[in-house]
Amino acid sequence: MSSNTPSSSAGGVGSADSAAPRRNSKRPKYSKFTQQELPACKPILTPRWVISAFMLVSIVFIPIGVVSLFASRDVVEIVDRYETACVPENFRNDKVSFIQSPSTNKSCTRRLTVPKRMKQPIYVYYQLDNFYQNHRRYVKSRSDSQLKDNSSWDDISSCKPEDDANGLPIVPCGLIAWSLFNDTYNFSLNNQQLVVNKRGISWKSDRDSKFGSDVFPRNFQNGSLIGGKSLDPTVRLSEQEDLIVWMRTAALPTFRKLYGKIERDLQPNEVIHVTLENNYNTYSFNGKKRLVLSTTSWLGGKNDFLGIAYLTVGGLCFFLALSFTVVYLVKPRRLGDPSYLSWNRNPGGH
Amino acid sequence: MDSKDPAENLYSIEPALSSSSRRSNFSSRFKSFGGNSIREVNFSDLGPKPVKYGSRGAESETYSMSQKEINDEDARLVQINDPVKTNERFEFSGNSIRTGKYSILSFLPRNLFEQFHRVAYVYFLVIAVLNQLPQLAVFGRFASILPLAFVLLVTAVKDAYEDYRRHRADKIENNRLASVLVNHEFHQKKCKDIRVGEIIKIHANETIPCDMVLLSTSDPTGVAYVQTINLDGESNLKTRYAKQETLLKIPEKENVSALIKCEKPNRNIYGFQANMEVDGTQVSLGPSNIILRGCELKNTTWAVGVAVYAGRETKVMLNNSGAPSKRSRLETRMNLEIIFLSLFLTALCTVVSVCAAVWLRRHRDELDYLPFYRRKDFSEEEEENYNYYGWGLEIVFTFLMSVIVFQIMIPISLYISMELVRVGQAYFMIRDIQMYDEPSNSSFQCRALNINEDLGQIKYVFSDKTGTLTENKMEFQCASIWGIDYNGGKASSQDQKDGYFVQVDGKVLRPKTVVKTDSELLQLARSGKETKEGSHVHDFFLALAACNTIVPIIVDTPDPTLKLIDYQGESPDEQALVYAAAAYGFMLIERTSGHIVIDIQGERQRFNVLGLHEFDSDRKRMSVILGFPNKSVKVFVKGADTTMFSVIDRSLNTSIIQATEAHLHSYSSIGLRTLVIGMRELSTSEFEEWHSAFEAASTALMRRASLLRKVASNIERNLCILGASGIEDKLQQGVPEAIESLRAAGIKVWVLTGDKQETAISIGYSSKLLTSKMLQIIVNSNSKESCRKSLEDAIIMSKKLTTMSGTTNDTGRNSGASLTSVALIIDGTSLVYILDSELEEMLFELACNCSVVLCCRVAPLQKAGIVSLVKKRTSDMTLAIGDGANDVSMIQMADVGVGISGQEGMQAVMASDFAMGQFRFLVSLLLVHGHWNYQRMGYMILYNFYRNAVFVLVLFWYVLFTCFTLSTAINEWSSVLYSVIYTSVPTIVVGILDKDLNRTTLLKYPQLYGAGHREECYNKTLFWITMIDTVWQSAVIFFIPLLAYWGSSVDASSIGDLWTLAVVILVNLHLAMDVIRWNWITHAAIWGSIIATFICVIIIDAIPSLVGYWAIFQIARTGLFWLCLLAIIVTALIPRFAVKVLYQFYTPCDVQIAREAEKIQAQSESAASEIEMNPIFDHPRR
Repeated sequence: MSSNTPSSSAGGVGSADSAAPRRNSKRPKYSKFTQQELPACKPILTPRWVISAFMLVSIVFIPIGVVSLFASRDVVEIVDRYETACVPENFRNDKVSFIQSPSTNKSCTRRLTVPKRMKQPIYVYYQLDNFYQNHRRYVKSRSDSQLKDNSSWDDISSCKPEDDANGLPIVPCGLIAWSLFNDTYNFSLNNQQLVVNKRGISWKSDRDSKFGSDVFPRNFQNGSLIGGKSLDPTVRLSEQEDLIVWMRTAALPTFRKLYGKIERDLQPNEVIHVTLENNYNTYSFNGKKRLVLSTTSWLGGKNDFLGIAYLTVGGLCFFLALSFTVVYLVKPRRLGDPSYLSWNRNPGGH
Repeated sequence: MDSKDPAENLYSIEPALSSSSRRSNFSSRFKSFGGNSIREVNFSDLGPKPVKYGSRGAESETYSMSQKEINDEDARLVQINDPVKTNERFEFSGNSIRTGKYSILSFLPRNLFEQFHRVAYVYFLVIAVLNQLPQLAVFGRFASILPLAFVLLVTAVKDAYEDYRRHRADKIENNRLASVLVNHEFHQKKCKDIRVGEIIKIHANETIPCDMVLLSTSDPTGVAYVQTINLDGESNLKTRYAKQETLLKIPEKENVSALIKCEKPNRNIYGFQANMEVDGTQVSLGPSNIILRGCELKNTTWAVGVAVYAGRETKVMLNNSGAPSKRSRLETRMNLEIIFLSLFLTALCTVVSVCAAVWLRRHRDELDYLPFYRRKDFSEEEEENYNYYGWGLEIVFTFLMSVIVFQIMIPISLYISMELVRVGQAYFMIRDIQMYDEPSNSSFQCRALNINEDLGQIKYVFSDKTGTLTENKMEFQCASIWGIDYNGGKASSQDQKDGYFVQVDGKVLRPKTVVKTDSELLQLARSGKETKEGSHVHDFFLALAACNTIVPIIVDTPDPTLKLIDYQGESPDEQALVYAAAAYGFMLIERTSGHIVIDIQGERQRFNVLGLHEFDSDRKRMSVILGFPNKSVKVFVKGADTTMFSVIDRSLNTSIIQATEAHLHSYSSIGLRTLVIGMRELSTSEFEEWHSAFEAASTALMRRASLLRKVASNIERNLCILGASGIEDKLQQGVPEAIESLRAAGIKVWVLTGDKQETAISIGYSSKLLTSKMLQIIVNSNSKESCRKSLEDAIIMSKKLTTMSGTTNDTGRNSGASLTSVALIIDGTSLVYILDSELEEMLFELACNCSVVLCCRVAPLQKAGIVSLVKKRTSDMTLAIGDGANDVSMIQMADVGVGISGQEGMQAVMASDFAMGQFRFLVSLLLVHGHWNYQRMGYMILYNFYRNAVFVLVLFWYVLFTCFTLSTAINEWSSVLYSVIYTSVPTIVVGILDKDLNRTTLLKYPQLYGAGHREECYNKTLFWITMIDTVWQSAVIFFIPLLAYWGSSVDASSIGDLWTLAVVILVNLHLAMDVIRWNWITHAAIWGSIIATFICVIIIDAIPSLVGYWAIFQIARTGLFWLCLLAIIVTALIPRFAVKVLYQFYTPCDVQIAREAEKIQAQSESAASEIEMNPIFDHPRR
């Protein structure tokens, strides 16, 4: 196949071929493959096919849409935005200094009313807005090998600008760990502590394989600028579930992170008192903080979008199916009609 | 190719005489265009030269004129039989050859260097290098180089393998044995050890190891026959001569010492210029004295020669160069779209960097402390900025990074896919059983790999006539002797089926080819020369048998009593004439350089060949001077009528001349090729005079050829006419049908021939190019003014006709048989005045109005001129098809060149892009393969644009939600593998295998070829529609998950996996929707790719050290993931599907209707259900 220079030796072979009379015919071997005649299916878009396809899509999509919408509506969600409310009035103009000052009282109490019956497990999330966990500088600033293995505790090359403090490597290093969310919530219902289970909120695969059980926090939050939560240096990383959840960086600038699970049902109109420590600084970038209590459905959290999308697409397909039917009935064309061929039409008649 | 030799513009082509030498005459000029500085060489001297006066040497006039003496500094000196001395001053190369490009050491650098000649790879490399800068590192080091490395590696392995094979072939070649004279004895020596100056002995059927000058041969007259099939593909035997001066020397016994002074090595295989000093005399050497490496010695027991060029300096090695590369139209068009895409890419990058600039500006005070930015590094004593180089630089970096991230917007992989697809398409074209020619055992050849798709858009076909439309198997049909027409029409008796034969020593000798004979003429020929008529017939056939350069070769047959005589020669016309003479009892038995033996009616006669004047394109005739046994001397001349009548003595036999002219006219009007034959008896004084002049001319060192020509003209005069012959050149099988199909397909067929006008017109009729309904406009002019006038008249006439018939020609649908079409017939003389002048424009205008154009008596350069006339003025694709060396120029000029591997050697094939055995295969090639290839390639390009743009846009949308920092949710490995593994195979498979219509349908409705003319598969509208669709699809892919997961706890890797899978599945289903023919390979490729993607994503997510560890398993457990996937696919494809359905149903293109018809036909054939058809017929038609 190469169009390259035929070497003289190759030419020699060629001449031997032609000298041998007809012995090695160049006749190509016949096979269905080489003649491009493999058995094949040649679907064409007949009106019947097209209309059935559209109908099929609408028949499948509309029920899915309805079911998704119901699933989403079934989810009960309590959302409480508190980043402004939890700053005392006199600090409202300078929230940043409030949050940065070590002496101010960060405690704050919120009341949440249960609108509808919430079946357990009720998931407790914190939601941050305008926090770019997907920022390039941020997502790169971590050391997976350090998290996994105690022996590479000084592998901090990728962690800049939060790689070491006071000349010693930080474990866990990097911006992500450094900025660990440190608001805390305490729930009480009718003056009774509402237990929040903080076990099993992270992925099991992360606990088993990404965060080592022999790795303990070291030299963490010892730098001049404290980013967030401190870690208990006696607890192995694979059990620091808040860290594990936090380090699974969110895809979008508005995200929720699982804080814990409440493993009992809540009845309508019950009032939950939340005592929260408002420590995390989102004020410097106008970030919002929300506390979310939500049940879950088979489809996840409360989000009507998918149901609506399915209904819209299903409806559109139904409409298309109908309109195509009408159009075919009004103005049919016989398939394969040779009178439509360009050379059979009148010249100029097109 | 602009240089025009005025001599050539004269109509230099005569139909009959020694056509291949005439043809090769021109090809040498084109060869010399190939960048080497060889002077033009007239190599009509190639042919056999049975000249008695041994030192009738060279050869070319131009040569001797341009280079009077070989300058010492330009020469190479070869001491015969003294290699040590020969090689001591100059380093001549040894005889070992190396066709391999690389050695082990040089492989890597050289191969890489060659690969990076492609711009695409350089782009790749620049991106990969940019990515290595720490500030710009978007992808990991390894991931960023992987695709480039992969492509380079694959190509390198391919190259290495090819090179290995070349090395192996070289080794075999170098280690062949040859007999070399060492110390007065011939020893076997390895081929690679041969040095210049050594004397080598070659035996019959051996391949010649290096270029050598013949010293002596087994033939007493010093003739050696060689087959040059390896050089130029011509299989007939060529004659080479040893010089008389060296002939008798026997190197084993005496010391041969001589000095050869020859030109520097060059690549002209038809030229050689040297002097030999032997025993104190100077002998000149020409191309007929040298045998070239790669030729085979035939019919000669042995030959001894001295090596003059060895190894890489041999002509065959110097000629090792590839076919010229062309670029396909589609690819050129595509480059425009690539520019659009790069603008689009720049726009995306600009948007990202402007947004990033604004963001950085607005947050400039917060940057130090932002938890996700943190400009300051507090760990050091001094707080320094980390990885921040100021606002301006950050913007620049953002721009560069976005180029890296969006790099595949420019579909680099497309170039590689296109190459693979073309290889696949070529495979199927080569394997097509319908394009295999049984008689010549030649299958289709694809010599150029990058213009497959151009075959689907050809608008003009320029065809040679001889050998292309016709078989170039000449058959003697009729003769006019002494004014009497003998045509074989009168039934020849059946008993002479076996033809004429003679008996020698009880063995029967018979010509190889049987010619049908005219019984009346046969009677006359047998009657001897007693009657007046008989003697004329005798002279006529004697002239046919003698006046040629044919070499008779006696071939054994299985039957020991029967031997066949095979006439080998370069001109098929001469062969036909000699076979005809043999059939009438004038059988040429033997030809040596000094005499010929002719068996005349069973009686052997020996004639001395006293001299021979070869055919040349100025005289257009050849002559031979025969010494008869009775000591009389006669000159026989044969040539084209135009030049022959000027040298025939008109005062003699006026009536005969008139009768012959009338016969000639009638012969050529039925499409025969004609020759006129004359003779003259020479008086002794005349002969002596000629003899001395001839001897002087042929030993002259300067201007030898022109002197020889002068001598020839002196003797070729006052001839007495003997008669004329008519030779039929049969039309190839299927030519009329093929031309009809091509014209129905909207392709304009122009025939360019060297033949006479009458011959050309009659062939035009028989090939259905011309019909009786057509109006013929004939332009024959002798001056520029008359040309202008006839062109003006013709234009007015053609316009009147076309407007009268009420149709417009410019619609391109000239298939309507009802309208009067115009045929333009123009001759070479007129073209001399038209081409390269302002009249070109008029000719073009006229030609556009004509459905057929026939150019006769055109020279090779004019052929190229006509092709370029059309090529310059239209954007339509042109195809030139021809078989001979005279077609090389037009084959190279046209967008697509097709060579017919026919009777006239391989020069056309070597210059062509595609080669095949028969003209009629052109229909299959264009209408079937061309159509398919165009459709496939057009779709593939669009699809590849779409495929890469969709992915890039998905990345782009995400960038808008990451503070414009070019982080990607899609795993970097997935981005790298996207165009390598996830989506590449289906498009290649579809590009090779998909066919929109069956072969039978395409052949049945040639009009379907119009799809390519109308650019239905790839045009600007389609491109922009595809791009709009791309934006929609990418938006659907991105925003459905975005909205569905907004404010949820999803992490980047998981949603990235969703996007990856959604893109890949969507892109593959998009392809699946457009596939026309589903066979198992297509199924495997498309579904296999989707499955492979899932597997790859799973594997990537099973690596714990990557961020996305286990993400796919987490997200695939949720129903939301699968619902998103389903919604994306359906929503994204709905608009395309709906538009496609509407378009197909309401403005169906021809291809679409034909496809439906094909399907319905197949259904009705299988089910044979006419009842079902009835309701469909009831529909109103419109």
